[in-house]
Amino acid sequence: MLVRRQFNLLAAAGLGALAFAGPSAVTLARAADPVTIGAVEILTGPNNKYGIAIKNGFDLALDEVNKAGGVLGRPLAIAYEDSAGNKDQAINAVRKLIGAQNVPLILGPTLSNEMFAAGPVANERKVPIVGTSTTANGITAMGPYVFRTSLPEADVVPVTLKTAQQKFGIKKVAVMYANDDAFSKSGYDVMKAALEKLGIETLTTETFGTKDSDFSAQMTKVKSVNPDAIVVSALVEPAAGVLLAKKALGIPASVHVIGGNGLNSPKIGEIAGDAADGTIVGSPWFIGKQDPTNQKFVAAYKAKYGSDPDQFSAQAYDTLFIVAEAIKAAGAPDSEKIKDALIKVKHTGVLGPFSFTPNRDPADTSGVAVLEMKAGKFGLLQ
Amino acid sequence: MMPHWLDNFLFTYQSLVYSLGVNALLALAMYVVLAVGQLALGQAAFMGVGAYASALLTVKLGAPFPIALLASMAAPALLAFVIGAPTLRLSGVYLAIATIGLGEVLRILYLNWDFAGGALGLNGIPEKAGFVWIFGTLIVALVAFVFVSRSRIGRAMEAIRADEAAAGVMGVNLPAYKLAALVASAAIAGLAGAFNAHVSSFIGPNDYGFDQAVTILSFALLGGVGSPFGPVLGALVLTALPEVLRPLHDYRLVIDGLIIVCVVIFLPTGILPWRIGRIGARK
Repeated sequence: MLVRRQFNLLAAAGLGALAFAGPSAVTLARAADPVTIGAVEILTGPNNKYGIAIKNGFDLALDEVNKAGGVLGRPLAIAYEDSAGNKDQAINAVRKLIGAQNVPLILGPTLSNEMFAAGPVANERKVPIVGTSTTANGITAMGPYVFRTSLPEADVVPVTLKTAQQKFGIKKVAVMYANDDAFSKSGYDVMKAALEKLGIETLTTETFGTKDSDFSAQMTKVKSVNPDAIVVSALVEPAAGVLLAKKALGIPASVHVIGGNGLNSPKIGEIAGDAADGTIVGSPWFIGKQDPTNQKFVAAYKAKYGSDPDQFSAQAYDTLFIVAEAIKAAGAPDSEKIKDALIKVKHTGVLGPFSFTPNRDPADTSGVAVLEMKAGKFGLLQ
Repeated sequence: MMPHWLDNFLFTYQSLVYSLGVNALLALAMYVVLAVGQLALGQAAFMGVGAYASALLTVKLGAPFPIALLASMAAPALLAFVIGAPTLRLSGVYLAIATIGLGEVLRILYLNWDFAGGALGLNGIPEKAGFVWIFGTLIVALVAFVFVSRSRIGRAMEAIRADEAAAGVMGVNLPAYKLAALVASAAIAGLAGAFNAHVSSFIGPNDYGFDQAVTILSFALLGGVGSPFGPVLGALVLTALPEVLRPLHDYRLVIDGLIIVCVVIFLPTGILPWRIGRIGARK
């Protein structure tokens, strides 16, 4: 009896599952034969803030594309799959979109690690996959079907360092980075190369872990070598800890912290407070950009979601227009034709002018803005 | 020529099917140590050693896949042999903590080892392991386990698990059995790691930490540790659930967790609690 009851329970759970699945399947079938592309993003779990921001950007642009008549005389639709930030799930999601839903193109995944796992799958199946937030080195080297619209760190960091060098006359720096995650390490590699190229001397290189909370030992060492600036590659939380340690040890505010993409988040000001003031980052986009396209985007985003967009939403927003243009130019929802059309797309969006290099990376770095944190907010470096 | 829909179906579920096989092997690795009553949680660490050993061989040295597989079993087995003597003096949670520590030590090692890619991990690992390799190995392992558990060795293992002191007094060589179980567990986990690395094309230092160790333990606990079939079933269920529930979108992880909680509450000894009958056993 007991066993049967348990089976009934399981069966009930299974039926519940079907009931949940029902409505979404029905709406998909009823829509007027749209051109459906896939998207794999982190929609659940601890990193879902990135995935949600990206999805919001896509959806906003999707509304506008469809209001303007869609593509190929049909509406454009996006089939979302969740990767939960896990590379195996990202692979499964890409396989499902290609094998079961036959999408001609995939947007995402969110993290570079996920792209390293899922990119080869799409490439092997000759389906273009377009990363909007993957900044690590070597992403597009995976194959001719792997694209990205996000400027890699290798493009942003040199601009940041050069601007800071000219502005503050920086000659010698201390470098600090988290050596236990791929994003921070890859950012550090880029910084090291850029510093050498600019002829800036590195006095010391200190490492820490992404989950560390005490940075005073490393910061004491940094203080003792007396650098002109501190260059940091880390995710938001440890970076905020570094800033707090810098203030606690009395390193003057005139010694700026220059960060990679991880520090380019309003959260850095929320956590570190006034210790974050003077932090300098390079960003492919910033909210206060004065051109009309951007102001329209920011206003529309606020109206739809009730919050400010971030760089991930902005990159996603532009990417959807780029992809829609490629589908129009291809003349058919066909992977091979879209791939050939994508490489030729020229688009001017909220990030500035955009085109692809022959290696499928963004070609134009003129949109990079160098920002400085003041009173908890990033503004253009004056 | 395969029909188009079948081709698409296999493409869609290929990596899920591979994960089912790999996780089933990991569950067996867990079963071996639990079968002698040792709560050793080093399987994730051994899996990592196997994955790194084999991937370094195929990626950096271009070694043939079978050689890489042998290395993926030999390297963790050797490590288990070396650390076995001191750690197996511990028992219960102390052993669990020591073996989790092993995983942490290895993680830091990979992070600072530039030849193995450091924090960036290794990518571009060739896709050499396939359906036949993974499930062939799983079947061979299962058959071997059934034979072992029906033999003198199996009975000795069961005696150790039931009452270690009594088994020792009856003449069972406790240290030898425990060490052999740990070495076998390490070899199986290492092999699973090699298969995983050679189907997912990318491995990183953070893939074999505490989370993975607990996941492997949960395969065995959910399935039941009475027979080798229990952990394998547990691995299949826990691996397939998140994908089967994918149509639920936002509710996916909620229902996934709910089902697991229900199983643990209503079936505390696992889904398959029964033991394998012995030859000549009286009913």
